[in-house]
Amino acid sequence: MTRSNLRSYSMLGALVLMGLVSALLTGGVFVRPDNLMNLAVQVSVNGVLAVGMTLIIMTGGIDLGVGSMLALIGVAAAKVFGLGGGAVAAIVVALAAGLLVGAWNGFFLTRLGLPPFIVTLGTMTIARGLALVMSEERALPIVNHAFYQLGNANVPRVAALAALGVMAAYGLWTHLRSANRNWLHLALTLAGLALAGWVLGDPSVEGLPMTVVIFAVVAAAGSFVLNRSRFGRHLRAIGGNASAAALSGINVRRTLFLDYALMGLLAAVAALLLASRLASGVPTAGNMAELDAIAAVVIGGTSLAGGSGTVGGTLVGAFIIGLLNNVLVLMNVQSNFQYIIKGLIIMGAVLLDVRKK
Amino acid sequence: MSLLEMAEISKEFPGVLALERVSVSAERGEVLALLGENGAGKSTLVKILSGVYPYPEYGGEIRIGGRVCRFRGTRDAVEAGVTIIHQELNLVPQFSVAENIFLGREPARRGAIDQAAMEREAAAILARMRVELDPRTPVYQLSVGQQQLVEIAKALSLQARILIMDEPTSALAQSEVLHLFDLIRNLRRDGVTIIYISHKLEEIFALADRVTVLRDGQYVGTRSVAEASRDELVSMMVGRELGELYPKAQAGLGEAVLEVEGLSAERPDRPGAFAVDGVSFQLHAGEVLGLAGLLGAGRTELALTLFGAWPGPCRGRVRIGGCEALPRSPREAIDAGLALVTEDRKLTGLVLGMGTGENVSLASLPDLSPLGVVDRRAEESLVRRYVQELRVKVSRLEQPVGTLSGGNQQKVVLAKWLATNPKVLILDEPTRGIDVGAKAEVYQIIGELAARGVAILMISSELPELLAMSDRILVMHQGRAAAVLDRVEATQERIMAYATGGV
Repeated sequence: MTRSNLRSYSMLGALVLMGLVSALLTGGVFVRPDNLMNLAVQVSVNGVLAVGMTLIIMTGGIDLGVGSMLALIGVAAAKVFGLGGGAVAAIVVALAAGLLVGAWNGFFLTRLGLPPFIVTLGTMTIARGLALVMSEERALPIVNHAFYQLGNANVPRVAALAALGVMAAYGLWTHLRSANRNWLHLALTLAGLALAGWVLGDPSVEGLPMTVVIFAVVAAAGSFVLNRSRFGRHLRAIGGNASAAALSGINVRRTLFLDYALMGLLAAVAALLLASRLASGVPTAGNMAELDAIAAVVIGGTSLAGGSGTVGGTLVGAFIIGLLNNVLVLMNVQSNFQYIIKGLIIMGAVLLDVRKK
Repeated sequence: MSLLEMAEISKEFPGVLALERVSVSAERGEVLALLGENGAGKSTLVKILSGVYPYPEYGGEIRIGGRVCRFRGTRDAVEAGVTIIHQELNLVPQFSVAENIFLGREPARRGAIDQAAMEREAAAILARMRVELDPRTPVYQLSVGQQQLVEIAKALSLQARILIMDEPTSALAQSEVLHLFDLIRNLRRDGVTIIYISHKLEEIFALADRVTVLRDGQYVGTRSVAEASRDELVSMMVGRELGELYPKAQAGLGEAVLEVEGLSAERPDRPGAFAVDGVSFQLHAGEVLGLAGLLGAGRTELALTLFGAWPGPCRGRVRIGGCEALPRSPREAIDAGLALVTEDRKLTGLVLGMGTGENVSLASLPDLSPLGVVDRRAEESLVRRYVQELRVKVSRLEQPVGTLSGGNQQKVVLAKWLATNPKVLILDEPTRGIDVGAKAEVYQIIGELAARGVAILMISSELPELLAMSDRILVMHQGRAAAVLDRVEATQERIMAYATGGV
């Protein structure tokens, strides 16, 4: 735990540094509160995927299908509206579809013994194909006010600030109650909340977008599952040593099945956020999104071999990638160059970290 | 003058003096055993000798044939005739025997590898070793013992004058061990000097000319094996007299807690072949039943089958406590009151990257998390109780278990299973690869558990320990129960006779 904590701290340092450089390069535009809130919204979809991906990579597995699932589930939701369904029906169908695809992965993985890379590579292609077939290769518009609110509504400023206050108080309370007090952790938590408060308090920001709220809830739940639940403990044990886990009475197959199903569910959540923001189901959406999610997890210090990692680290990784996307657009870098720069920075970030060990 | 002299060798790691002015010498054509507990400095010493820790990262001087050697890497050492065979073998499984022997220095003609010449030379070396192996066989088809022979052939092809072997028998079957010993004696006759690292006193008495004992990075002494006694060497190693190593008292048989009748396990890869074939026995409360047999006799397979972890079809009547059922999964076995300490703690016992505490509680999580959320206070108190009871030396409970010594790791595995409060404890080679001090502690723990009424099934390949700890000994041969011997009638000879099918 300590070593991966250290790693997320160092990556957090890299994120702050990149933020400062970005502020300089954009003449301060990057650190304007409205842009920072925009960044948080942009990160949300990938962030939700990356939280799920953390729980997958933790076991030594991988899910390459999540990008295509964004498209397939978005299209499926749009279809529900097309057939006269309402927002609730669309959400239920989307979540069920996500679970189903995840369970499909889990079935091939745990019952038929195929490696995760192969299973999810297949799912990636199948899901993309299904999305294209179902939509007849067109973006399907969604006209529904309630659904639109999901990704675009704002929690009022006052309520959001109050929530931040509660979180700060909770952080302080757990810190004081804990046996080995981690002052650095407390300072960073409070600094993060203060930054969020500053952004929210600015008149250019309307409030806290629902998208960001959902992202935060998913991240908090993911962290709780990983650190405090039996399921999360089992995931780490399986990633660390699957045979030892099995011989300690852990049902490895069932745990992995549930893990991939959970990833499917989170992909559905991400797909709903995306579809709501785009107000349509787009069959080409989420192209290469799985790679951004994997990159966020790896930058955040989760080992691809499994067994160690944190959701906190993944959040830092997701924000590093989001920051790159955001700043390169602000700086009007041509999109082809964006790919190159992003790749180099991802490799550099991890390289720096590996060298330091 | 000796062929090899290591004078006043010191080596410091950050914060630890691993070796302090240790001097060792070896003659031409001699088997010198290096003996010491884990952490005594044996491996560090031979790593210096083989160039793994290059000059000038150590203090002192190495002389071979009177000339001072300052190896800057393993390549220098190999050129000077020093080769080491590590505990973990370094072979490419897909390559042939010959390709492995000449890996990195393949004989070539006009830029292409001369396959025929390579195989010819490999065959010559193998013939010199009196080993029957086809140089064209891929290494993955060989047993561990045969693979080790390939490593030795590689060393000989490098013209090794000094051959270092680090715990070479830890993964070998009995017959392979005997073959290896013959080979070592032949090499000695040819003038090769062998530095032999081992925990096993029996091997040292069977093989070595002299033995040098290290303890805590310091030189303790050197004895001629012909004049040394077992007790003397043990007390040199541990620095104190080990009065009674084995504390097990003869138990009066309690009630039968485990009854096994006609237990069979079919090999998943070979239908019709049985790894365990109609084995029946009873295990009583407070009893230690030793399980003897050669490698591949089906002992580990029997343990896995009882524990619900055998990958193939299995059948048989098993009664544990009151309930009658062959467990279908480890979870069912644990719930029925079984616990299994597997033979390889790194491969199947521990999650090395996880904390010590999390490893201890791993098998008890259902009780600690009734609603799916781990009750961390209950977990910590459970973990603390067993860490203290077994005297696991650990600075923090979060300390990754992979950073502990072998003996402490084994105690963590034991703690994990004791925390489940088992009625029947199956131990598969419980003292493999741990030092004498830790062994004594493990024996003591086993004795205490038996005294408390836990029924213990103990698999071991070390007959002295099996004879000393067991109330009865079940001998297996080719998947079958060959005999059940009482403590009084069991001898090494009788066990081996049944284990080899000779009776």
